[in-house]
Amino acid sequence: MGNHGDIRPTLIEQYRRRAAQVTGVAVAIGLLALPALGLAQDAPTSAATAYRDIPQLGGSRNLIWVIAQLHLLLAGFVLGVPIFAWLCEIVGWKTGEKRYDKLAKEFTKLLTSSYATTALFGGILLFMLIGFYPKLMAYLSDIFFPSFVVYCGLFLIETATLYLYWYGWDAMQGTKKPLHLFLGFLLNVFAFFIMIVPNSWATFQASPVVIAEGSDFARAWAATWNPTWWPVNIHRLIANVVLGGYICGAYAGIRYLSAQTAEERDHYDWMGYVGNFIGVFGLLPLPFAGYWLMREIYQYNQQMGITLMGGFLSWLFILQAMLIGVLFLGSNYYFWLGITHRIPGSEIKYRKPIMTMLVILLLCLGVWMTPHSLVASLEEARKMGGTHHPLLGVFGVMSAKMTVANLMILVTFMSFIMYWRAGKEETAGWAKVAKALMSAVLVIAGIVVIVLGVWGYFVPAIIRINYFSVAQVLIVLFVMLTITPLTALLLRSARTTTEMVWGRMPPRAGYALVLNAVMVILLMTLMGYARSSSRVHWHIYGVMRDSSQYAFSPALGYAAAFMSLNTFLFCMLVAFIFWVATMGDKAKGKDPIEEKKQVPVGAYPAMAGGSQTLDKKH
Amino acid sequence: MSEVAFLQLIGLSVVGLGIAVLLFIKARFARVVGFVAIVLGLFSITALSVPQMASLPPVEEKFDVANIKTASDMAAIGQKIFFSKGQCALCHSIGPSESARCPDLKGIGAKLTREFMYESLTQPQAYIYLDFRHESQPKEYPARMPYINKNPIGLSKNEILSVIAFLQQMSGEPITVSPSEITQASDTPPAQAKPAQTAAVVPIHASGLN
Repeated sequence: MGNHGDIRPTLIEQYRRRAAQVTGVAVAIGLLALPALGLAQDAPTSAATAYRDIPQLGGSRNLIWVIAQLHLLLAGFVLGVPIFAWLCEIVGWKTGEKRYDKLAKEFTKLLTSSYATTALFGGILLFMLIGFYPKLMAYLSDIFFPSFVVYCGLFLIETATLYLYWYGWDAMQGTKKPLHLFLGFLLNVFAFFIMIVPNSWATFQASPVVIAEGSDFARAWAATWNPTWWPVNIHRLIANVVLGGYICGAYAGIRYLSAQTAEERDHYDWMGYVGNFIGVFGLLPLPFAGYWLMREIYQYNQQMGITLMGGFLSWLFILQAMLIGVLFLGSNYYFWLGITHRIPGSEIKYRKPIMTMLVILLLCLGVWMTPHSLVASLEEARKMGGTHHPLLGVFGVMSAKMTVANLMILVTFMSFIMYWRAGKEETAGWAKVAKALMSAVLVIAGIVVIVLGVWGYFVPAIIRINYFSVAQVLIVLFVMLTITPLTALLLRSARTTTEMVWGRMPPRAGYALVLNAVMVILLMTLMGYARSSSRVHWHIYGVMRDSSQYAFSPALGYAAAFMSLNTFLFCMLVAFIFWVATMGDKAKGKDPIEEKKQVPVGAYPAMAGGSQTLDKKH
Repeated sequence: MSEVAFLQLIGLSVVGLGIAVLLFIKARFARVVGFVAIVLGLFSITALSVPQMASLPPVEEKFDVANIKTASDMAAIGQKIFFSKGQCALCHSIGPSESARCPDLKGIGAKLTREFMYESLTQPQAYIYLDFRHESQPKEYPARMPYINKNPIGLSKNEILSVIAFLQQMSGEPITVSPSEITQASDTPPAQAKPAQTAAVVPIHASGLN
């Protein structure tokens, strides 16, 4: 009995356990099945769901706007920095100057943390897009699925290459350096493809093409190869170099402002110079790429072109002119500060040319910023005989703007050449001839650009666009491609009369570098808004209409508030990444410029305008 | 307070805050943040001081056949379409204009037949100019006019007939489109592309940047 009495509770316990297990499994199955039930229930509804919204958080579109913009800016930074770092590494390897290698390594260190942050924002963006725009995403997925797979593959390869490139930096020195450089090359190649794949999705939205029947891959490829894909690819590639350079400059500017020792000041002054140099290097061809993009947009659909240049977005280009103008002025100002502060005794010598260039830049900026139609009261409009000012209206058209843009590029280029040649005396026998030739090329180019600009008023638009504007661009490129190698040859045998002294720039130079970076970021946010708004009320232009409550494009003022917010958030994010990435160095108490002392004395200045002073000091 | 005034106030506050930081705070990083705030605030204020134009999606003109009694009713609808969904006024003017990029349409209804107008709207490349300014064979000089019956504008047949009615009325001509055509016409909207099958945009060549 006693046994029975013992067994029964055990059996009961077993049954209870089994029942509990069964119940547990049933509950688990039920819980697991809940989403399925939910999905099943929602299936007819979700098929019809085109949009979702979170009005409490400012609306889906605003959320997407902030996240997409931050992702894009971070992506630009992540893709721009490897180019920047790789170029610096090559310079360091070719010239033997360790400081370039050090600089490249410092910036590559940022990549790992910024890469993760970019991916994080990309993930958030993807979830938001799927959640808020299910219909659009389903449409795009249907077309682009093969490229999604390619994109994932590229990410895997890029990540592996980045790890090898970063963690193998010290191991691949000396004879293995070429291998490391090759890894850097691969890193940039994969990064380029990572950029152009999503570009195809975005450009397809703006300029969709007819997709014929065929395999999934063939359809994806047809959609990828849309009219604005390559112009955007090239424009973004150059813009990323500009962004990387100017952010490097801004970082150096901030560190320069807070530098405690003379060595730090020297180092960050030099770093600011390199950043500005690379930024300007990219900035000069950028307007050409922008022009090509705009031209393709017009050729694809004139309606879209008019919306951008003559429709409700026309004032945006006045703001763009302002930002680009400030950027040109800021970059030139930094060059001029460099000439007058780093080269003792040059203040008076270069005052006149600097003033001349400043006046030309300001005049050009004034023309570029002149709107085609003025904001005028009815009475003012009557007096003018319309919204076009009788005199200023002449400057509001494309012919004038193309001319001044080219002139500004020429002036900035000459600013750089002047900086390069400052403090040196040419000793070559043919120096006089070369200098006369360069002056002639410059003057003739300037005159021809102006003549073509004026002539452009008297020919049909199609002639101006297809021939005159292209000729202006080619002339400016010709000037750059002629004068740069000639100057390099001339300076090879030049005698240094006044050595550059680093670390003597005034604090405003640091702020100028920060200003330049902010201008570039603002420009990217502005043109992102332009590109997106040019589709007006279409998700995919002419194919899928935006039928949500957010189908309108907000006015510039409202949009500018978002651009400013996004720029600020991005700056703070980058500052945080820089802070985190350099935390280890500070903790170790290691002076980041210590290795600079290893620079061989008398090393040839690697970059145009560089100096041997830094090297000799150590 | 309007939205613009509110945003201007925020912009001014940000600039003021930035100036205060530069004046009273010594920490370098905070000063740089203050400087950035000033720049961004000034940018926002500048953007708020230019004309504020939002781009609203065009209201789709609904044809209520029951309300169309006369040809004038059609012309009235056509006028609305001309200045809204049809986007005609973006390039064309009615009367001389400095800003018009394309031909002045004043009196066009008297110059062209309705059939020709219909064809010009739906087949803008039907009669194209030849460019003889080059050697060898003359090149085609495609019209800048978009296909009005295709996306992104995508007017239906009824809408196009109404625009023609408006152009004729505006030219002082008798309207040759009758309401009975509207009733009889099957008002099929422009084809929306099915996923991954077609995209209805037709690239427009030979354009002008201005």
